Amino acid sequence: MAIIEAADLRKVFRRIVRRPGIGGAVRALFSREYEDKIAVDGVNFTLAEGELVGYLGPNGAGKSTTIKILTGILVPTSGSVRVAGIVPYQRRQENAENIGVVFGQRSQLYWDLPLRESFELLRAIYDVPRNRYLENLAHFSAILDLERFLDTPVRQLSLGERMRGDFAAAMLHDPKIVYLDEPTIGLDVVAKEAIREFITRVNRERGTTVILTTHDLADVERLTPRVILIDEGRVIFDGALQRLRTEYGTHRTLVVTFAEAPTNIDVPGTEIESREGLVVRLRFDRRKLSAEAIIRRVMERYPISDVSIIEPDIDTIVRRIYVEGYQHGAVGAPS
Amino acid sequence: MRWRRMAGVYRQYWRINILTTLEYRENFVVWFAFTFVYHGSSIAALWIVLSRFPSMNGWSFRDMAFLYALWMVAHALHNTLFSTVGEVPDHIRNGEFDRLLVRPLDTLFQAIATPGQVFPDELVLAIVTFVAATIYAGVHVDAMFLTFIPLIFIGGALIDLGINLIISTAAFWFVKVDALRWIFVQLEQEFTRYPVTIYTRGVRFVLTFVFPFAFMNYFPARYFLHKGMSGLGLPPVAGLLTPAIGIVFVALAYVFWRFGLNRYQGVGH
Amino acid sequence: MTGAVEPRRRPRFRLEPYVEFARTAMAREATYRFDVFTTIGSFVVRVYLLRMVWTALYAHNAAPHELSRRAIITYSAVALLMGIVMDIDQTRALKDKLHDGSIATDFLKPIIVPFYFFADGTGEVLFHAVLLIPATLIALLIFHIIVPGPGVLAAFALSFLLGYLVGFFLNFILNCSAFWTLEISAVQLIVTWLTDLFGGELIPLILFPAFLQNFIYALPFAAMFSTPLLIYVGVIPPSRYFEVMGLQLVWIVGLAIVSTLMWRAGSRRIVVQGG
Repeated sequence: MAIIEAADLRKVFRRIVRRPGIGGAVRALFSREYEDKIAVDGVNFTLAEGELVGYLGPNGAGKSTTIKILTGILVPTSGSVRVAGIVPYQRRQENAENIGVVFGQRSQLYWDLPLRESFELLRAIYDVPRNRYLENLAHFSAILDLERFLDTPVRQLSLGERMRGDFAAAMLHDPKIVYLDEPTIGLDVVAKEAIREFITRVNRERGTTVILTTHDLADVERLTPRVILIDEGRVIFDGALQRLRTEYGTHRTLVVTFAEAPTNIDVPGTEIESREGLVVRLRFDRRKLSAEAIIRRVMERYPISDVSIIEPDIDTIVRRIYVEGYQHGAVGAPS
Repeated sequence: MRWRRMAGVYRQYWRINILTTLEYRENFVVWFAFTFVYHGSSIAALWIVLSRFPSMNGWSFRDMAFLYALWMVAHALHNTLFSTVGEVPDHIRNGEFDRLLVRPLDTLFQAIATPGQVFPDELVLAIVTFVAATIYAGVHVDAMFLTFIPLIFIGGALIDLGINLIISTAAFWFVKVDALRWIFVQLEQEFTRYPVTIYTRGVRFVLTFVFPFAFMNYFPARYFLHKGMSGLGLPPVAGLLTPAIGIVFVALAYVFWRFGLNRYQGVGH
Repeated sequence: MTGAVEPRRRPRFRLEPYVEFARTAMAREATYRFDVFTTIGSFVVRVYLLRMVWTALYAHNAAPHELSRRAIITYSAVALLMGIVMDIDQTRALKDKLHDGSIATDFLKPIIVPFYFFADGTGEVLFHAVLLIPATLIALLIFHIIVPGPGVLAAFALSFLLGYLVGFFLNFILNCSAFWTLEISAVQLIVTWLTDLFGGELIPLILFPAFLQNFIYALPFAAMFSTPLLIYVGVIPPSRYFEVMGLQLVWIVGLAIVSTLMWRAGSRRIVVQGG
């Protein structure tokens, strides 16, 4: 059953054009110019209950605007959106009961007070029954290891500890859907791992639907079976991570260590990525040529001492999509 | 059910305020000194002026002290209960405001119940001053006085809340409203210090019907001090209208707030 | 820090960076167009208010012989004009940077740090000085303030400048105290209110009861507002210019010495302890 449905979502912002310098500032006193910026340009997707989805895109692609529309913060310019059967911006408070939000850079915890006080306030805000609250608190404390610093003022916590506190804070009222906006930004490896573990368990054990926006593609590889890629306000890929890998990660890199420095490297079907002394990286499209054929070609021409093949990681694939542009049809995005 | 929930939130809000204030005891002492000097210097200025000029349109220093103390309690009540509304522009600027929109409570209620360092120290100081000024001015304390004075304080605090809310709402359009707020804080403090009869007709109209500061202290003081004259032909009993004026003014400010909020959600920031 | 503390090499003085700081600070101010209107608007409303207050007081009481009604309205208008510039805390950035700890990086830059703070606020001062032009025109055209002769005007301008410097160093000392204690905003506000009252910005000091007079002149506030204002309205005659401006100068020198000592001690704290 679809828990989130977004159809033809569009959001256009009106921005003031600022001119540089004092002259510009003085002129702005008297007149202002505006320009329209299309932040979200016809986004479509549906999420089933209990899904865990990565929502990816470069800065300014429209990720957070989409999240703001789904959470009821913003009203879309056009298009329709339903979250758990509710139009978020029309029934904002009702929608808010169903959702939990973690903004990675902005904590909802009270800086000067022990973590526990913030939790108590949230308990009151969401009117969580006392016993349910204690149950959840005990459960999250166990997974996130909160017990140690539950009574420490938040300002004395490390970023990782604070982030764990923020995650528990967002989950105390058993939301059906959680939006995680850059949740692992700036964290060290251990803290990241703890957070990822928490996300997985909440999704698996409680059936919570999770939407995750992130720059860290390791989050995606580790967590989300499905990814939605967005660029310039449009969805350019929506599907399984595996499909993204097989359909777009078509290039492989062959790392060849030559026995002696070759004067002129020319292997048909490949291009040179880099060359460092005797080590040369050759890139090829595995749909056109098999690795075996390439290796044979290299060995026919040059004496080599070692050879290996590198598969592109998800980071490389996504970066290439943004840099080189998405070729319509090649990736299999919904048209 | 909603009300019960709001009561729970409000209780926890005050708990956090008090704990935070205790966490910063030294700050608290300094800020209390500030409050003391702020009101002390205002009263001192009145005293200095009225020691040189014994009467201001028939009002003596004793009358003016009562006038000031009335305003002071209402204003302190506002600062204690609603000053957090003034932080909304900052929250809009740094993005924290979005947090209010993803929680299942009214945004204005949440803006009021945003924990910080709030403590009822100014209110205590104001009440002490008010009691002293009432005795000093020789105001007749009867059942009428005791019934209406608390309502007048609440009404006055609501008038202040209305102004505060209107200025904060302006932040949905303008980046920085600090200067606007500063001006209102100053003008309110200065214009409420004197009996409105000294002002020109236009100013009296503004202080009565546009930004009804005159209802915070002038009209009630005129009633309790039995000063017959008015400026706008309102009978003395208008001094008891403050609670009603406060409610209407806040209601209007709330409509403006909703309008600004709709714009924020439509346009983004 | 490890090892011996090397004497900090003095960077060669170049003016450009400071001009640039001032320029960007000024542009930053100008982007807040709301401020322009509110500053002027508030000025007009407050002069208007004070005119009504003085008018009411003069109508029902015997006027003090030192100041006519028009003179006292002039006094209030000029006091508020001065306030447009005087109320700026030019070195405010110092306090802010001590508060968020970013000051440490300023010591790494090839600049003379106190000059940076001076320059950062200069833009704002100049911007507000520009606002004085329309405000003065309004004071002349709407409130018909008295304009004294060129000699008095020149003396007023000089005394105003001296008054500004008194205020500048006073603010700088308060900002420097943020090296030791972080919550100084309240103290600054207290000083602001005391300046309003005891500096003679609201009520001319000559109208104060006699027993307060000695106390007032033992504080630096009178040197900020009262001296130039009383020169302007002619209460201080030219024969006393030397004496009153000399006193202003004494305040400046005294406060400047305290400022230097505090800056030295404070910045040593940063350099040695790393914030």
